[in-house]
Amino acid sequence: MKNKSTIKTVLSYLKRYWFLIIVSLLFAAASVLLSLYIPIIIGDGIDLIIDTGKVDFDGLLPLLTNIGIIVVIVAVLQWLMNLINNRITYNVTKDIRNRAFDKIQKLPLSYIDLHPSGEVVNKIISDVDQFAEGLLMGFTQFFSGIVTIIATLVIMFVLSWKIALVVVVLTPLSLFVASFISKSTYSLFRRQSESKAEQTSVINEVLGNLKVVKAFSREDEELERFDKVNKKLEKVSRRAIFFSSLVNPTTRFVNALVYAGVALVGALLVINSDGQGALTVGVLSCFLSYATQYAKPFNEISGVVTELQNALACAKRVFDFTDEKEEDSDKGNPELSGCDGDIELSNVSFSYTPEKELIKDLNLKVMSGAHIAIVGPTGCGKTTLINLLMRFYDVNTGEILIEGQNIKEITRHSLRSSFGMVLQDTWLQNGTVRDNIALGKPDATDEEIIEASKAAHTHSFIKRLPQGYDTIIFDENSSLSQGQKQLLCIARIMLALPPMLILDEATSSIDTRTEIKIQKAFSTLMQGRTSFIVAHRLSTIKEADIILVMKDGNIIEMGNHEELLSQNGFYSHLYNSQFEPNEK
Amino acid sequence: MKRLLVYMKGYRKECVFAPTFKMLEALFELFVPLVVASIIDDGIANKDSTHVVQMCLLMVALGAIGLTCTLFAQYFSAKAACGFSARVRHSLFKHISFLSYSEIDTLGTSSLINRMTNDTNQVQTGINLTLRLFMRSPVIVFGALIMAIVVDPSFKASGIFIATIIALSLVVFGIMLITIPLYKKVQARLDTTLLSTRENLSGVRVIRAFSLEDKEKDKFHKKTDMLNKAQILVGRISALMNPFTFVIVNLSICFLIYKGALEVDSGNLTQGQVIALYNYMSQILIELVKLANLIITITKALASAKRIEDVFEIQPSQRVEKLDKDTSSDYSVEFKNASLKYKGAGECSLENIDFSVSKGEIVGIIGGTGSGKSSLVNMIARFYDAEDGAVFVDGQNVNSYELDQLREKIGIVPQKAVLFKGSIRDNMKWGDQNATDEEIIKALEIAQAKDVLDSKKGGLDFQIEEGGRNLSGGQRQRFTIARALVGKPEILILDDSSSALDYATDAKLRRALSQLDYNPTVFIVSQRTSSIAHADKIVVLDDGKIVGIGKHEDLLNSCLVYEEIYNSQFKREGM
Repeated sequence: MKNKSTIKTVLSYLKRYWFLIIVSLLFAAASVLLSLYIPIIIGDGIDLIIDTGKVDFDGLLPLLTNIGIIVVIVAVLQWLMNLINNRITYNVTKDIRNRAFDKIQKLPLSYIDLHPSGEVVNKIISDVDQFAEGLLMGFTQFFSGIVTIIATLVIMFVLSWKIALVVVVLTPLSLFVASFISKSTYSLFRRQSESKAEQTSVINEVLGNLKVVKAFSREDEELERFDKVNKKLEKVSRRAIFFSSLVNPTTRFVNALVYAGVALVGALLVINSDGQGALTVGVLSCFLSYATQYAKPFNEISGVVTELQNALACAKRVFDFTDEKEEDSDKGNPELSGCDGDIELSNVSFSYTPEKELIKDLNLKVMSGAHIAIVGPTGCGKTTLINLLMRFYDVNTGEILIEGQNIKEITRHSLRSSFGMVLQDTWLQNGTVRDNIALGKPDATDEEIIEASKAAHTHSFIKRLPQGYDTIIFDENSSLSQGQKQLLCIARIMLALPPMLILDEATSSIDTRTEIKIQKAFSTLMQGRTSFIVAHRLSTIKEADIILVMKDGNIIEMGNHEELLSQNGFYSHLYNSQFEPNEK
Repeated sequence: MKRLLVYMKGYRKECVFAPTFKMLEALFELFVPLVVASIIDDGIANKDSTHVVQMCLLMVALGAIGLTCTLFAQYFSAKAACGFSARVRHSLFKHISFLSYSEIDTLGTSSLINRMTNDTNQVQTGINLTLRLFMRSPVIVFGALIMAIVVDPSFKASGIFIATIIALSLVVFGIMLITIPLYKKVQARLDTTLLSTRENLSGVRVIRAFSLEDKEKDKFHKKTDMLNKAQILVGRISALMNPFTFVIVNLSICFLIYKGALEVDSGNLTQGQVIALYNYMSQILIELVKLANLIITITKALASAKRIEDVFEIQPSQRVEKLDKDTSSDYSVEFKNASLKYKGAGECSLENIDFSVSKGEIVGIIGGTGSGKSSLVNMIARFYDAEDGAVFVDGQNVNSYELDQLREKIGIVPQKAVLFKGSIRDNMKWGDQNATDEEIIKALEIAQAKDVLDSKKGGLDFQIEEGGRNLSGGQRQRFTIARALVGKPEILILDDSSSALDYATDAKLRRALSQLDYNPTVFIVSQRTSSIAHADKIVVLDDGKIVGIGKHEDLLNSCLVYEEIYNSQFKREGM
């Protein structure tokens, strides 16, 4: 996405708020102009206070009243402007965030599988925040800054072009100094963040594996290693922090130069004005107060420009994400009707990347209620078939038919809800145990939930949790063992009772004794249900009607246990290598 | 914060100089309005151009001196802040590495890492800014007030100044007080949206399998709505800050000019002095806003400091106790009625464990998921303390050993095969700092890792990446076994550490282990009966209790649980 189209997208999000934006800009301009007018009135006022007995109270009082009125108006304008800006910023943030999150639900699985989740989370959380704050807040600051500079220049030139010239000549100095310093600190900051990253990786490694460190009593050695990077970081950050902290004092100094210049030229002009009223002390005081404020918008703008660039980069990342290609729409497709579990794969070919062909011309007919086992060494692509059946990925050529209906021509929802799936990577939602079990059947009664839970052998440990079924659990929660998590996922399926099953290493983390107990429940569940089972324990597989043997992504053998054994091929080799040593 | 201040020691000079120089800079700044007043009252009024030029040069000089002072101040504060945080990180790292397993469990690794990185950074920023600004802002605010009195001792300007300062402080700090907890709420709600994003990415298959997409969208939209409401509320309040301060300062200026006019009229003040007072008023506003920002940074830093202190406050719970030892014991390891209860757990994870192991014996520990196998072996190296009863190593209660001494006797191969960044040799030397290359290679041979070593470029010098991610699971596992063997431990513990090995390699490994010349006591934790069937003694655990001890054949006849485990792995295969 080019910058131009990024800006276009930004504008499309802002369109809803165009009226508020215009009002905000008008308010900003008005409040800047009015607040710049105040020093002029104060200057006029000071000119009325000349000396003992020479104070014009009649002229002074109305001026002061005017200031009072203007101040209140400016305050109200500023306040309203802030409210409007907040509303725009936070609403746009919300809009973009919602859009990005909705996108997750529509992305093809290939995107999610290929991109680390931290990256996507970063886009939705911090990039959106930075974009909103940087771009919207930055923009209003930028706008007010420009208005301030232009208005100040105009006023100064009108009041006295000679002093104005002094200011104009001196201010670039401030910009020059600021940009010089920030350029030289840039490389220091880069080195600091490199050092930080180095330290973080040591911290991650050691604290993340502290138990191993302790088991080998390596505390002292690791501390030494840490101290080395710690010292380095200390040195680098000291320099980075010091140099970056020079920006403000030096600009303050330049500002002092401007101030002195204004005072000098101004005072000399007043002295030499020969009473013609060309320049008064009041005007000088007015100039001085402009001079103190004048460098501020320049500094702000140079800060804002980098912030804007940064924000634009964030926006680009977010919009690139929301513009990702979605899964093909299945709107208007009919629901899958009357599913008994007849599945047919005809001439199916598939590969994740064009270079590496995986499944080629696969033909498979599965009768209702049949059990299909998929076996093969780790990393052979056993889950590929599941990805295709669930339409997490689409076949490249050929078709998958369920009850004679091409799965591409029915809704994904109806397809997926007819499968019950338990995966090796368990996933629990942040919520209660009850919610997690009832994920596939939200209207389940407590009795049904407990019954399913008993079938999956989870009831006894759930009962022992602090709040039983109402205990809140997280996926990352370590209070449940991997095996217990897997059992909970099985309980889900026991409750939902879909017509077809997919069990992907569903019991890999469960000890063999419990597994046997669950197996009984599984067999009841699988009775009459078409089931696909991925497992590395051949015992689970032996009784399957069809065994698909996979290697390097291809299906190399197909048949039932006896047939495959008699073929004396890869399956029989696999089978024998696993069980040979047990015979001793 | 108090506890952390110890680490400022040695930076006393910097801590005094940084604020002092900052204060000097502020003082020089405070003179500027007086100089301007002099330009107007002496220079302009007397048409004295030389005086004007002198005064302007004085202003430049004041600016230059101020700049120099700040340079010193910034340098000292950067030095103190970075030095301080480096020391805190050092001590924190050291402290954490001496905590015992149960404290690590309670705190959680990710929170410890966070405290080491983010929190120390936050404190560093806080200290840096405090040293730089904490003296400057009050000096300017109160200095301006004092200068106002200096300018005109008889005048009531000071009254206006005091009233303004109070009103401004009330507004600035009042708004801050109200908004800080609200910002916390915003942060908490942002965290929940983050959590739910992460959850949806990791659970994408399950969510789609159960067709929960729309439900998840609704849930997320509700969360962003809540976040939006919190943000707008806090925005509404903090939006008051600028307008309010603007009104207060400008109205006081009006009042000041009016009062000033009266004084000038009666000859108590000059025109230039009124301008000086006006300039002081503007300075106060700018500094108070800076001070408010500083206080926000400081609050954050204090919260971080508190989190760091919380870690420091946790003392390692394990103490070395003075206990009698039974030197005559033939037993390598004895469990005497030992129970283990994890912190915060309702029930014991191990109950009444009671058995003894002679020197050189091979012990198999078997049981289902969560039956307490790992917990049991963890007690031998005193990673966790017994709630009741005791564990003895070489006739001596483990609680009476120096931990280093105890763990030197024991070689552990943990469940999770982790290696560290560095060469293979570095990693192997964990077991014994002084191990020679021959000893290391011998250990690698026993661990069936010699062929892995030979396949790596550079041999022992091959660089392992962080966590060992440039090795496969099986390779890592064999290296961790070798690492434990390098130290020639008296007791070797294999905690389910052959899971990534195929059956043939596993068998070879077991054979090699049983032929070790130094004859260690070996504990093998496993779920596979095949891995432990040959052991001299098998301990069968179920739900934290021992349900059988004996040899394979005896247990098959006498222990129902063992029989079931065995059958689940063998009988069904019909072998």
